[in-house]
Amino acid sequence: MMVGSGGELRLVGIAAWSILAFLILPSLIIIPIGFGNSNEIIFPPNRFGIELFVRFFTEPGWVSATLVSLRVACATTFLSVVVGVPAAYALSRGRFPGKRLLALFLLSPIMVPGVVVAVALYIYFARIGLRDGDVRLVLGHVVATLPFVIVTASAGLRQVDPALETAATIMGASRFYLFRRVTLPLIRPSIIAGALFAFLISFDEVVISWFVARADTTTLPVKMFSSIQWEVSAVLAAISTMLTALSALVCLAVARLQGKESA
Amino acid sequence: MVNRTTAAPMVHLDNVSKNYGAVQALRSTHLEVRRGEFLTLLGPSGSGKTTLLNMIAGMTGPSDGQIWIDGRDVTEVPPSRRGIGMVFQNYALMPHMTIFQNIAFPLEIRRIPADEIRQRVMKVLEIVRLPNVAERKPKELSGGQQQRVSLARCIVYNPSLILMDEPLGALDKNLRDQMQLEIRRLHSELGITIVYVTHDQEEALNMSDRIMLMNGGSVEQLDTPHDLYYAPRTRFAAEFIGRSSLIPSEMIGGGQARLNDGSVVRVNRGANAGKGHLMVRPESMRLVQAGNVDAGMNALQGTLQGTLVTGGSITHFVAHSSNTTLIVQELANERRTAFTSGEQISVTWPVDAGIFLDR
Amino acid sequence: MARAGGLERQQALRIAFYAVPAAILMLAVFAVPLGTVVIQSFTSEASPGFTLASYAKILSATLFVRVSWKTLEITLLATAFALLLAYPLAYYMAQQPPRRRAMLMILVLVPFWTSVLVKSFAFTVILGQSGLVNTAISWLGLPPVKLLFNRIGVIIGMSHFLVPFMVFPILSNLLNQPRDLVSAASILGAGKWRIFWRVTLPLSMPGVMAGVLLVMILSLGFYVVPALLGGRQDMMLANLVDFYAREIIDWPMASALSVILMGTAAIAAIILSLIPGGSAILGGDER
Repeated sequence: MMVGSGGELRLVGIAAWSILAFLILPSLIIIPIGFGNSNEIIFPPNRFGIELFVRFFTEPGWVSATLVSLRVACATTFLSVVVGVPAAYALSRGRFPGKRLLALFLLSPIMVPGVVVAVALYIYFARIGLRDGDVRLVLGHVVATLPFVIVTASAGLRQVDPALETAATIMGASRFYLFRRVTLPLIRPSIIAGALFAFLISFDEVVISWFVARADTTTLPVKMFSSIQWEVSAVLAAISTMLTALSALVCLAVARLQGKESA
Repeated sequence: MVNRTTAAPMVHLDNVSKNYGAVQALRSTHLEVRRGEFLTLLGPSGSGKTTLLNMIAGMTGPSDGQIWIDGRDVTEVPPSRRGIGMVFQNYALMPHMTIFQNIAFPLEIRRIPADEIRQRVMKVLEIVRLPNVAERKPKELSGGQQQRVSLARCIVYNPSLILMDEPLGALDKNLRDQMQLEIRRLHSELGITIVYVTHDQEEALNMSDRIMLMNGGSVEQLDTPHDLYYAPRTRFAAEFIGRSSLIPSEMIGGGQARLNDGSVVRVNRGANAGKGHLMVRPESMRLVQAGNVDAGMNALQGTLQGTLVTGGSITHFVAHSSNTTLIVQELANERRTAFTSGEQISVTWPVDAGIFLDR
Repeated sequence: MARAGGLERQQALRIAFYAVPAAILMLAVFAVPLGTVVIQSFTSEASPGFTLASYAKILSATLFVRVSWKTLEITLLATAFALLLAYPLAYYMAQQPPRRRAMLMILVLVPFWTSVLVKSFAFTVILGQSGLVNTAISWLGLPPVKLLFNRIGVIIGMSHFLVPFMVFPILSNLLNQPRDLVSAASILGAGKWRIFWRVTLPLSMPGVMAGVLLVMILSLGFYVVPALLGGRQDMMLANLVDFYAREIIDWPMASALSVILMGTAAIAAIILSLIPGGSAILGGDER
């Protein structure tokens, strides 16, 4: 396709890099501000320091909200992996009536606007009288994370050579033994990738949390959301820096995992 | 190993057939594989050989009929309970396990104590002549070594029957010949029963005790390699295995066949009536100067079209007036007179070498 | 005694049990709540029992009509901008060698996986009165431009969010295009632009269509970006749902609105699944 890279291609290159710059500009601009002036948000900052990070850890509310988010994200990740990976296995290995329909059902939350899920859970939890803040958040987040875990695990399962499972079966392995000793280890990179995505989705989730969180279980994104709306605290820059770093870490980890899997 | 006292065959397929919807992948088939036998399912793709193998393994169930392994009806038994072993074309070694763990895997399933596992794995690695690879991962080994490991993984748990699905298909020519000998050696040393699937007729002829030739979902012929080669029963068998001259002709009684150019030859094997083809193997035919035919031999006149010299053998192609090409193969050091292309010559063969095939 | 492969069927059926926990969970936290919303939408505060009153009320509400038009306008504009930005990027990435492409992919994935709050917050800094853009403008001696808390802010924020979603299907289409076609065309003497217009672009239309639909489905449900970067005038349907559900606490109205939103997204998703390669984006198992 690269027949004689002419001026046109160079033009496309310039355009592409400008677009990439636009894409990563917000993530990059946050970092100096996070290490910048402590009272006002200006770019470029004229003073540097870690004051904003100190404020994050000392101002009331931020740390406790972060702890709620961590707790909820861990529980959500655990639940969606434990439930999602076997489901992916059933969808990719089973042949049963209604399989396509089941796949469509389990993945459909991807296509339903987040706010609809949020309102539905808000009304539903009120109806059934579910009051526990953590449980409300975890159940809400699972709706968003489970499809991702299923999709990534399914992608991993598709890579597994079917002959390996046939071989194990003929050697006498039961279905469960086969799943535990052959299939699970083989798709471990995909499971870890799915878990990382699930964690990140839950940790960053705003809309569902905004509706289902209770006053005593405010997550970090919920607190950020109201902060951006009402007061715009400079601490947000420090938090955003940390969240960007977390996203970048997850991306690099997943990229490495995928490299490993294809090798 | 030890022949059981039971007279039952190792594998017994009783009127087994397989349909996928309206498509008949395997027509009703009967087969008995004897204890210690090396039986090959040979055929082109789509002939039903893989379907048959998968049914013996239990990966697919038959639409009709019964399957017996080692005297037990296994028709409804899942593959994990059939007590068989299988070797795959792409080795199917677990990439996340070491060679040792791979071979130990079937023993662990059988809950065999750890020290016995160690002993048996080491012993079997010696049998396949790979004593020093236990701690390596499969992808660190060559294709041939991986296939030896996969054989080891199979024989380590003494299955009564080993199925092999084109096990040499991924190897290059030299390695393939070597592995053919290796598999034969294991077969005779360990006395295992092997059902082997291949589309490579040479491989089948080299290794098998018997070959079941399949075509279009049914059995074409079940015979020893020798009989399949020298006494094919159908035109397909004659063409699929080795080369042959197939001359359209009709039996006219008295052990005589008339070709469609009117010439008559003697035939004393095969069908004795009807229309069909006279088959003669190339190495049974000889070229002689026109008219210079020994008494008692069949002979046809033809035009020499060309000659190919391949190392020690010479192949001649002779056009006969019945619109057939006769193929004559001779050993290079036996050729005395040289013929030139376009020359009128005679092709001769002993009466016993011709077989009349009416299918 | 014909059997239709009873053995396999039995085994393949048993695997279905592995999906039971997921099915129960999704039933409990997704299907039933959505069902509640659907039922709720057919009730009204005035009369118990089945009624279309909420739908009638909402469809005649000027607020709903205005917000629907706004949502449609914003969706179309944001989709158009996202396509305009995503196509050249995907085209460029498709032409790079795999290692370099993987590196570029990380540059697309990092913003993709960055919290929408972080991105919105960053845009308030970039687009604000004394933000980056206005600072640059004032250096040029021009008057400042209002870029935030209005339509421009919403469109910029949404396009930025949507570009990666558009890049993925287009890139995957471009990478799957048979390379021989381009070589053949260039051997025949076609220029680069000609090859692009006559071969590459038409062949990439399914990818573009898939991207456009996916992005439109996402835009319909946007909540955070309009709330943070838009003004009072740029309320979208998702924000309206919130308004009914929690500000004036009219659950039947909020429910009816949710059902309308869901229905629109579902129609778009069905169209998407009919496009070749579209169901892969939905995560559907194509085998």
